[in-house]
Amino acid sequence: MSRNSTAGRAGTTTAAADSAPAPAGTPAPRRALLRGLPWVVWRRHRTLLRIGLLVTLASCALFAYQRIGVLDFLHGKGSAPGGDGRLLDEFQSSFTPMFNRDLQFMESLPLLVGVFLGAPLIAGEREHNTIRLVTTQSVSRGRWIAVALGLPLAVAAVCTALLSAAFTWLWSPAHDLVGGGDWLQSGAFDSTGPVPVAKTLFLAACGIALGLLAKRVVPAMAATAVFGFAFSVVWSERVRERLGTLRSLSYPYDGDGPHLPPGSVRIDDWVSTADGRLYGYGTCVNGDTAACRAKLGIVNRVTQYFDYGQMPGMQWLGAGILLALTAAVLALVVWRTHRRPL
Amino acid sequence: MSEPNSWAVEARGLGKKYRRGWALEDCSFRLPAGHICALVGPNGAGKSTFLGTATRLVQPTTGSLKLFGVPVGDPAVLERFAFLAQDKPLYPRFTVAEILRLGRELNPRWDQALAERIVRSGNVPFTARIGTLSGGQRTRVAFALAFGKRPELLLLDEPMSDLDPLARHELSGLLMAEAAEHGTTVLMSSHMLSEMEDMCDYLVVLAEGRLRMAGQTEELVPAHMLVTGVAGGDSGVPDELLRQHTVVESRVTGRQFSALIRPGGPLSDSWEALVPSMEEVLLAYLRSPEAPVLITDEARIDSDATKEAAA
Repeated sequence: MSRNSTAGRAGTTTAAADSAPAPAGTPAPRRALLRGLPWVVWRRHRTLLRIGLLVTLASCALFAYQRIGVLDFLHGKGSAPGGDGRLLDEFQSSFTPMFNRDLQFMESLPLLVGVFLGAPLIAGEREHNTIRLVTTQSVSRGRWIAVALGLPLAVAAVCTALLSAAFTWLWSPAHDLVGGGDWLQSGAFDSTGPVPVAKTLFLAACGIALGLLAKRVVPAMAATAVFGFAFSVVWSERVRERLGTLRSLSYPYDGDGPHLPPGSVRIDDWVSTADGRLYGYGTCVNGDTAACRAKLGIVNRVTQYFDYGQMPGMQWLGAGILLALTAAVLALVVWRTHRRPL
Repeated sequence: MSEPNSWAVEARGLGKKYRRGWALEDCSFRLPAGHICALVGPNGAGKSTFLGTATRLVQPTTGSLKLFGVPVGDPAVLERFAFLAQDKPLYPRFTVAEILRLGRELNPRWDQALAERIVRSGNVPFTARIGTLSGGQRTRVAFALAFGKRPELLLLDEPMSDLDPLARHELSGLLMAEAAEHGTTVLMSSHMLSEMEDMCDYLVVLAEGRLRMAGQTEELVPAHMLVTGVAGGDSGVPDELLRQHTVVESRVTGRQFSALIRPGGPLSDSWEALVPSMEEVLLAYLRSPEAPVLITDEARIDSDATKEAAA
């Protein structure tokens, strides 16, 4: 649409030029929404931002379509996995590939935005020296950096928020069945609620900062990719499980169990004494196990887990931490572009 | 000339230190409005650093710089000047029309008709993308963007260096015509001395980060004389010359002595004197870093004023 309007405007300018002197400073008749600096920033990233918006709309439509199939299945067969696991098997054979693709897409989104939108944002301006073009027009550097960062990040935030909402809408009716009900490790934790938005903004901000330091697009993108992988390892191995307090369920050593609440994620198993002292699950499994247990006083087994009800709290806490880090990184970028010669 | 706006550029003790050392040191001069000024010097003389401080791309370490009385630290100065960097950066995916729109969106004093006229006179199609244009066409679009801003001061960094002779001729003509029509002060750096001689009526010479010469060419060049005569004295420089005149550069070939001097009084008849060209004067100054600095009264910012500004 903008291409048409641009061509049309250029056409009228040349046509007007042939007959009469072109009017000075005529505002563009269309896209009145985008003027001044936002127009320049939008035009500069037009292709990428349009692709982002299109992918968002297409994916939301796809999620909505997929939801019809999921709901059909759930209405026919029920949504809680039964004891024998037949429902789970059936669900997994028909929906696992679909959900795996969706989850992979949702999980890769932050890194893609960081590498392709964040990293080139300032690195591209520096590499081609166009930063000297924009910062020597009549707009102060503070305003330029605010719009240059704000507009792309706002579009990224809106797109991921839409995608996350659509995917959450698709996933939540079947949350007990997707990935065997494991909302933490299956990717659902990072693909629903506020987490995708926060992760995307964080990696985009880090890409921008790395681009500012690297001054070249390709090294900036490579650095952002490496950083993104390192971040995802730290996030899933070290951070995610510390966002909530583990709950414990004790049951007799030889008894039946554990009977965890539906939708909970089992994290760890222990054995324990009557007064609650924990030993590793591998304690007293070799040799005279009964005597060993008697000596230590082990009478119970303990399972630690996260309840499904803890998920939103953990997600918002994680997202809050990431958004605070994002704000810190962006503040650093703004401070540096303000202070240091570019 | 006491009105503050009559000075397009006022530098007082301007200096910039990088990790490697001073790129520009204690640079004080002023440029009256309305001149076409050449900023001359060898590579690494501090020309780009000076232009960087004037365009807010480089933060000076010491001193102050004012454009039309507005300190460069004030964002209001952005409307006063237009800058054309050496590589003429433009967004390669923008069309020519979009580059002009960029100028219109970002500059309150934008003159669309003027910018379009400059583009059209080079037969550059408005729908062409910048990336597909030739070097000369790109420079023309960059000129259109710079002039469309309606600056009072146009700062150009090596504007013609990457152009073929034809485009160079065409664009210097455009530059001179537009500058004359709008009364724009132009400050351009270059190391093409012969070209500067045709275009510029004001000179600022930098070498090794220091100001060597500043003033109107009409005053600077006739202040010098090329003299030839018989060699004498220990260093080969005849005492008579050293006593009365300032020797910028001298050369002894056998018994013949030749020098570029700033006469401090009447010259004796034993010397054969010639009026040098601007290029000869510039080369002499650039070759001899020891030569005394020459700043005409008009370009000089006296030390009292410097102290006042510092206080």
